[in-house]
Amino acid sequence: MRAFDFATASTVSDALKLARPGSAFLAGGTTLVDLMKLDVMTPDRVIDVNALPLKGIKLRDGALHIGAMERMGDVAAHPVVTSVHPMISRALLLSASGQLRNMASIGGNLMQRTRCDYFRDVTSACNKRLPGSGCPALTGINRGHAILGTSDSCVATHASDVAVAFVALEAQVVLRSSDGDRTVPLEDFYRLPGSTPERENVLGPGELITEVVVPTLSWARHSTYLKIRDRQSYEFALTSVAAAISLKRGVVQDVRLAAGGVGTKPWRLRAVEEALKGGVAMERTFSDAVESAVDGARPLAHNAFKPSLLKRSIVRALLDAAGVR
Amino acid sequence: MIGHDVDRVDGRIKVTGAAPYAADTKIPGVTYGYLVTSTVGRGQITGMDTAAALASPGVLAVYTPFNPLKLFAYVQEQNDERLPPLQDKEIRFFGQAIGFVVAETWEQARDAAGLITTTYQQQPPITEFPGRTLQKFDEVEEVVGAQTLGDITFTASYTTPFQHHCAMEPHATVATWNNDHLTVYTVSQGALLVQRRLSETLGVDPVKIHVLSPHVGGGFGGKWGNWAQVPLACAASRALGRPVKAVLTREQVFAMAGHRPMTRQTISMTCTADGKLTSIVNDGVTSRGLGGNWSESVANWTLTTYASPNIRVTKTIMPLNLGAATVMRAPGEANGSFALESAMDELAEQLGIDPVEMRLRNYATLVPNTGKPWSSKHLDECYRRGAEEFGWSRRAKQVRATVDGDWLVGTGMATATYGASRGQASIKVRLYPNGTASVSGTAADLGTGQYTVFAILAADELGIPVARVRPELGDSTSPAAANAGGSNSTCTNGPAVQVAARSVQTELITLAVTNPRSPFHGKDPASIVYRDGSVSSGGLTMSFGTLLTTCDVGGVEAIGTSPRLVDPEHGYRSFGAHFCEVRVHRLTGEPRVTRWLSVCDAGTIVNTKAARSQIQGAVVMGIGQALLEATEVDASARFTNANLASYLVPVHADVPRIDVRFLDHPDPLVSGLGAKGIGELGIVGVAGAIANAVHHATGVRVRDLPITLDKLLG
Ligand SMILES: Cc1cc2nc3c(=O)[nH]c(=O)nc-3n(C[C@H](O)[C@H](O)[C@H](O)COP(=O)(O)OP(=O)(O)OC[C@H]3O[C@@H](n4cnc5c(N)ncnc54)[C@H](O)[C@@H]3O)c2cc1C
Ligand code: SF4
Repeated sequence: MRAFDFATASTVSDALKLARPGSAFLAGGTTLVDLMKLDVMTPDRVIDVNALPLKGIKLRDGALHIGAMERMGDVAAHPVVTSVHPMISRALLLSASGQLRNMASIGGNLMQRTRCDYFRDVTSACNKRLPGSGCPALTGINRGHAILGTSDSCVATHASDVAVAFVALEAQVVLRSSDGDRTVPLEDFYRLPGSTPERENVLGPGELITEVVVPTLSWARHSTYLKIRDRQSYEFALTSVAAAISLKRGVVQDVRLAAGGVGTKPWRLRAVEEALKGGVAMERTFSDAVESAVDGARPLAHNAFKPSLLKRSIVRALLDAAGVR
Repeated sequence: MIGHDVDRVDGRIKVTGAAPYAADTKIPGVTYGYLVTSTVGRGQITGMDTAAALASPGVLAVYTPFNPLKLFAYVQEQNDERLPPLQDKEIRFFGQAIGFVVAETWEQARDAAGLITTTYQQQPPITEFPGRTLQKFDEVEEVVGAQTLGDITFTASYTTPFQHHCAMEPHATVATWNNDHLTVYTVSQGALLVQRRLSETLGVDPVKIHVLSPHVGGGFGGKWGNWAQVPLACAASRALGRPVKAVLTREQVFAMAGHRPMTRQTISMTCTADGKLTSIVNDGVTSRGLGGNWSESVANWTLTTYASPNIRVTKTIMPLNLGAATVMRAPGEANGSFALESAMDELAEQLGIDPVEMRLRNYATLVPNTGKPWSSKHLDECYRRGAEEFGWSRRAKQVRATVDGDWLVGTGMATATYGASRGQASIKVRLYPNGTASVSGTAADLGTGQYTVFAILAADELGIPVARVRPELGDSTSPAAANAGGSNSTCTNGPAVQVAARSVQTELITLAVTNPRSPFHGKDPASIVYRDGSVSSGGLTMSFGTLLTTCDVGGVEAIGTSPRLVDPEHGYRSFGAHFCEVRVHRLTGEPRVTRWLSVCDAGTIVNTKAARSQIQGAVVMGIGQALLEATEVDASARFTNANLASYLVPVHADVPRIDVRFLDHPDPLVSGLGAKGIGELGIVGVAGAIANAVHHATGVRVRDLPITLDKLLG
């Protein structure tokens, strides 16, 4: 850890004023402090945003509004969330541990960094941490890495679970800077690594996430978040699938699908959604439809199983969401 | 008192945080040492620029191979590093200690360490196992007759990955000198191991080295050796005239404080059509980290498990540029049993014989490789009782035959055995005027329950409540008792506690008849009886506390020694059988353990509660070995997942209810107490039982640990 300035902001405008290139906002600190201890993140100023009024979980104008400083645990347990979007609650409850969820914020969750072990080890090269230094994961240990949206510069997954649910539900993030507010679909908030893996999202320097807005979905009750991992709890996903399905007399009317653990960002599966519409909700339909999920997939030496696992995970999630066997 | 559920005597101070662990030691004026480690896997250090670190705030000293603290060569092999740190410029592994920064605060030391730049002449590290053909350093063969062919043959290879102990408490040492006397608070599986090592490497008379290690937060073999922070903290403290505290980071623990080596076993077996083994050959290969000397005799479990007229095992060592491989719970046997227990299951299936029946048909009534009788062996009872309680007879004959919803269900079993022995131990028991007793020896309690074993056995022998006995462990000034390793603590120290507790009764009676203030003064010692904490003679009874008070004596004590067991006539082992149920998801392949039963034959069980916990803990660790744990090494020779988020140990959700039964047949030869070891027995066979259950559930045989879902997707 390096020496840094510490400042506390009590209003959003204070926070924006205190921000400068090289500064970092501190929410729950479960990513930031962890990575500062490892010298992976080396902000020269840390701005505590815990006192900012970015709280509240409300249903307004047909959308669920979640303040960026709401804690993961509080969001997961909130009755509006569990009734309007149980998938969000489930994705959160399958994330991290109870202790972490009590500290970690929704804004911080969306901004968490990849779990690539090379990224976390400053003695190794890493294009995301040190642009241009190389990507040891391409030829090194890469069982947990991405197969979709990868580039020759970086193959790291985006690790958030709830972001996958948000992307499936077409959530938007509200961003505030000294230039005012803007709203960006979460799916577009994240960038693909391309040749600049160090730029993970469209957030400007010193810009704050203030809120996540999730449109309601009348059929969101028929949804699930499935997380597949080696350990039953307290681990990031090998694959995860957020699925919501609308059925009429056993026929798929509409469906939402997004995957985690496989993409360099939360991965919406539009082609699979299209292939499912109009089909009879049964395992055969689902397994026929999932082929396109892995279009363009680039498996690596140790994660060659991920395309197959992803397809199987989608089928399983659809069976759960549709309540069919 | 022996053989019941007794709460741990150290339980309360541990759960309330009052138990002092090494890193908790507070000494006024303490300084902090931080290790600098190599960032390449092999080569020579050509230069280290320490100017910025030395100029950094609070820094007291920076030691490097260019400015080392003198440490003499290690003499005693402790399964740890081959050479003391900083004495040479060769890099043997990634993460090797190459510098030690001492500063007023831990943060200052760490920050200064980050300012040191090191240049290397690099060489490509040797990391591949077992793909590349490497120089064979060593080959051991044990031959019992030549291999003859039976009707049926079977051959397969099994591999296991690197694993780490992951004790909760990281390695920590605090050293302070008073003139030429050293006091060191450190993690350790035996205070005398530390004393001996420090005496060698510091060039100090061992009597001037006082080692304190009263509580240890898990060891599993990883704290048997004395890793770099131990000599460095002590030597720096001597050089600076200030106390020094050094705690390894988790990443450093992974890199330099030992790991379970990678192994491969190729097993060939022949047998008759009715399943009687005619030969077993196990060619074992083990890695050895070039940081150390130690490697596993991974195939040796095959020598003593099943009856066969011909058994041959070999050992080939693959040296790699890694830190020292070291002992980890059931070294050799945890990995060895995975292969043989899988192979027995495979052969049984090939023959259409039930796996339990297969093991009974090859039951070793004599030690297979020596032909000697066992001191005691009730493994057949473990199999039968386990099968009965588990409901083994209802097991489907076919694989992939049982389905519960989306889960494929299978069951598996395996044999557990682990060597038993009794070393020499001395224990002191002291009685106090307030009616309490203390029991002391250099032994260690790593969370095993050794404190409570001391208290129970002394209380039993003295006839007083456990609460009135104060066990004192982890202090090098106590009489020399067993270190915590090789499942040896209770079987070695237990009899010594009994001897000492009996001897102190004799001392008490001597006092009673010789002290002029004693009401028993002048009586014939033979007329005095000690019972339940009191001495009596001719109608007069007095508790030892009252007697000591009456005599105005501060205490009586005795040191009892129980000798090493020397018995060339018998084989000694603990035995057990594991039965488990595993579920595998039909679509996504995750294997989950859902039911467990272990039946153990480990002689006398002193504390059934702690013993059950030992077996349960070992089974949990075995579930990790079977399904989760693997440290990965890439071409740079670093352990890439050297942290507790990426190296997966089981969490509660991975662990089902674990039922444990003890047969409780005292071993008549190991000691009067009759206790054999249980610390390691529980993990032996676990991975095999799980692999067998996974096969039964899915029809897929996984021969490479860990059994992760990608291997089961089909
Ligand atoms: C052991 C462990 C296991 C975990 N497992 C999971 C898991 O299974 N699934 C999962 O999804 N996550 C998991 N996490 C990640 C965890 O969810 C994130 O660390 C957490 O959500 C981050 O939130 P925070 O409030 O602590 O953020 P902080 O650490 O405070 O901040 C993280 C980053 O976000 C920035 N930031 C914070 N708030 C804002 C804001 N409002 N606007 C703009 N920038 C902001 C900070 O500057 C920083 O760069 C795990 C973490 C750990 C340590
Ligand atoms: S995958 Fe990305 S984060 Fe990981 S080492 Fe490569 S560049 Fe760095």
